[in-house]
Amino acid sequence: MRAPAFTPYASRGRKPIVAILVTFALCSTASIGLSIWQTARTQHRAEVLRVAERQQTLASEYVQQVMLVHAGQQSDPDVTATIMRLSTDALLDGGAVPTVPGNDDEAELGPTTDPVVRAQLIQERRLVDDMTATGAAYLAGRPASSVPLTAGEHLAVSAPLTRLRVLSMLTADAALNTARTIVAESDSDVTNLIAMQAVLGAVGLLVSLTLALALVAATRRQTAHFRSIVDSSTDLVIVLGNGGCRHVSRSVTAMLGVSEDAVAGGGILRYLHPDDRALVRSAQTSGRAEEIVFQLLNQHGEWRTLEAHVTDLRNDRAIRGVVLNARDVTERVRLQDALVRQAYHDGLTGLANRSLFRDRLEQALARSSRTGGAVAVLILDLDGFKQVNDSLGHDAGDQLLRVVADRLTETVRATDTVARFGGDEFAVLLDQTDEALAVSVARRALARLAEPAVVAGRELEVAASIGIALHSGDGAGDELVRDADVAMYAAKDAGRGRHEVFRSEMARDPDELLGLDNELRYALARDELTVHYQPEISLSGGQIVGVEALVRWTSPTRGPVGPDVFIPVAEASGLIAALGDLVLREACGVTAGWLRDGIVGPDFVTWVNVSPKQLTMGGVQDAVDRALRSAGLPARNLGLEVTETAIMPGAAADRARVELQQLHDAGVRIAIDDFGTGFSSLAHLRHFSVDMIKVDRSFVQGVERDAKDTAITANVVALAHALGLVAVAEGIETEGQLAHMRTVGCDVGQGYLFSRPVPAAEVTAFLAAARDDAQAA
Amino acid sequence: MLACAGLLAFAEWSGAGGGGQPSVRVVRITERDFHIRAPRRIAAGRVRLEVKNDGPDLHELIVVRDPAGARLPLRTDGLTVNEDALAPEEVGSLEPGVPGSVRALTLRLRPGRYEIFCNMAGHYMSGMHAVLLVGQP
Repeated sequence: MRAPAFTPYASRGRKPIVAILVTFALCSTASIGLSIWQTARTQHRAEVLRVAERQQTLASEYVQQVMLVHAGQQSDPDVTATIMRLSTDALLDGGAVPTVPGNDDEAELGPTTDPVVRAQLIQERRLVDDMTATGAAYLAGRPASSVPLTAGEHLAVSAPLTRLRVLSMLTADAALNTARTIVAESDSDVTNLIAMQAVLGAVGLLVSLTLALALVAATRRQTAHFRSIVDSSTDLVIVLGNGGCRHVSRSVTAMLGVSEDAVAGGGILRYLHPDDRALVRSAQTSGRAEEIVFQLLNQHGEWRTLEAHVTDLRNDRAIRGVVLNARDVTERVRLQDALVRQAYHDGLTGLANRSLFRDRLEQALARSSRTGGAVAVLILDLDGFKQVNDSLGHDAGDQLLRVVADRLTETVRATDTVARFGGDEFAVLLDQTDEALAVSVARRALARLAEPAVVAGRELEVAASIGIALHSGDGAGDELVRDADVAMYAAKDAGRGRHEVFRSEMARDPDELLGLDNELRYALARDELTVHYQPEISLSGGQIVGVEALVRWTSPTRGPVGPDVFIPVAEASGLIAALGDLVLREACGVTAGWLRDGIVGPDFVTWVNVSPKQLTMGGVQDAVDRALRSAGLPARNLGLEVTETAIMPGAAADRARVELQQLHDAGVRIAIDDFGTGFSSLAHLRHFSVDMIKVDRSFVQGVERDAKDTAITANVVALAHALGLVAVAEGIETEGQLAHMRTVGCDVGQGYLFSRPVPAAEVTAFLAAARDDAQAA
Repeated sequence: MLACAGLLAFAEWSGAGGGGQPSVRVVRITERDFHIRAPRRIAAGRVRLEVKNDGPDLHELIVVRDPAGARLPLRTDGLTVNEDALAPEEVGSLEPGVPGSVRALTLRLRPGRYEIFCNMAGHYMSGMHAVLLVGQP
């Protein structure tokens, strides 16, 4: 079954209207046509009738004329006879009717079709012929009875005049009866016409009524359809007329929780936000097509934001009002606000972010160029924040940042802007200020920050360094921030908890700081980084038991860059993973070569440093596995040096500990680096499997001067031995230090006294020589 | 006029039926220009004259009983029958009928001589008359 074709609503209802009009047109045309035709026919009939009746008169006249001629008078019956004869011809077959001189007009007749009338006319013609023949015989003195009769007459009289009179009478009678028949027919025609007109009218009326009813029904259905579309739509439709609200859709009443009557007229105003009343009223009076946004109070007492399109349908007779087609955009507006907030605010502290700060700074500078006041930028960087993050975890770090944000906000005026640039870097914008004011704000901030803060259950003292830069006049917002940054570094260099105002002589190249991570990235790609190795010597036997792999960077532009400079940059930029991979790959490859060549023994260990950042990032286990596999190095010949905090319990370190534990289980050695400087816990040290403890160089280098350091080193070594671990002394530079470490029983030593860190080739030669010595011995 | 004739015919029919007389003899009469054809003798009693007009002109039919002379009395014009003079003898008549029509006239005819004729202008003089002899049934 075929689905009926879709008819657009706009074209529905046209069909019935067209059909009504066509029916009317057809019926009217037929009716008028009939009337015209009938009128023409009637006019023609009247002519025919006149001619037919004239025959009657002429028949009488003919007899009189014959009698006149017979009596010797002047007359012309032949003319009359001719007229009568031609008239019957014309009546029968059509044509011109001769005129009776001085009596009437010439007329043109059509042929007669009616068989009855025709028969009568033919008989009339015969009678005319009989009469005129008889008349002619009478005048000619011939016996009338000698004239042959053609119309079926059986005349019982022989007197010629009587015969003539009887024939004249018959002729007149025939003419009269012909006329009567014509009249009778006309009557019936008129009756038929009336009947036909009545039928046409009735048919037209019936068809039109039916179609009109169909049209009304279709219109009703259509209206109902549109109403249900409007009512079921989620769009909120409000029609405003002169008297206020004329109509609202069901969705509006559902939202407001009231009936349509309650909002009709001025009732809608109760639900309209007072600030929006003027706007809606102006839309109602102007009817201008536009989008307006206003708020309505819903049934839960909540302001909903509506966005409406205004359509002026005041000239539409069906509407007579201004239509608001509205949608509830409350959620969208909220989301937009949230997005704007996100774009301009720091998610952690709720402070302004760098973009908003820059924006405010430009505005402030523009203002200052008009009013003349100065603008100050304070850049604040926390001292030792990294340690808090490393030792207490990032959650604690975040908590601390929020405390700092709150304290900074308390310190400044409400009109000043406090921003967080990221990490532990904050900025404060002071508008309409001077140097003395800016310095006092910095002091207040440092004092407020110095108050102890409780974070993660610990009482921390927070210190910060502040750089201050001032400017008045337009532009140079970025420069101002950079100057403040430079001043901040100057403050940091001068010691913790200080502030510095920017001076032009401070201007060290800020690009050095800003570009280092990029350079490091290129350095990694260009193999500018090399791995050096520092031997570790058995203090009892003097043989080389291992090496520590140390990364070195010689920049083509900067020269040698120390690990203390670029490792933090690598950690901050995420390059530390690639850097770690590089060192692991190199170290494993070199060590595997030594083992293969028999330069080192099976217990030889190459140690690689793993930074806490690397561990918290995860993936160390994979990197180690990869490096070992690709070099073909047994796990036992690789050691990882980690700091104490790496094995401390805490959310961030948990994964690292698991990874280290698994590596250790696989045979990789683990050493605790810089032992004694962090927050070590002996309990954890006991539970966590490590192989070696490296005594921090600061203790080793103090043994000759400081009794405390002497005691510490002795105890650390004793502790290591108690736990069954190997103790390593780092940074041995003098024979005295070596002697002390030997005395306290330290197992392994490392330092300039034995060898600086050297490139792989050098250490290879060194190891080969040592082997040869050992073999010779 | 047709309708009128029809109505008349109907009236005659109902009259015949209402009379409850089944023995109505039908006598067919044909009129044409200018002649009446009818049976010369018929039996007395109820008679139904069925008159057909063969045209082409209109024709009427008048029935008179036992007229005095061989010729019916004429009007002063000498051309048409003086019906007024014949009124006592007239037993029935049919108005002019259109060509092609059949009209009926039911009469109770006693035995005797009857004359039937058409008295339209000149028709009688042109031969439209006939004698009807009604005898004992």
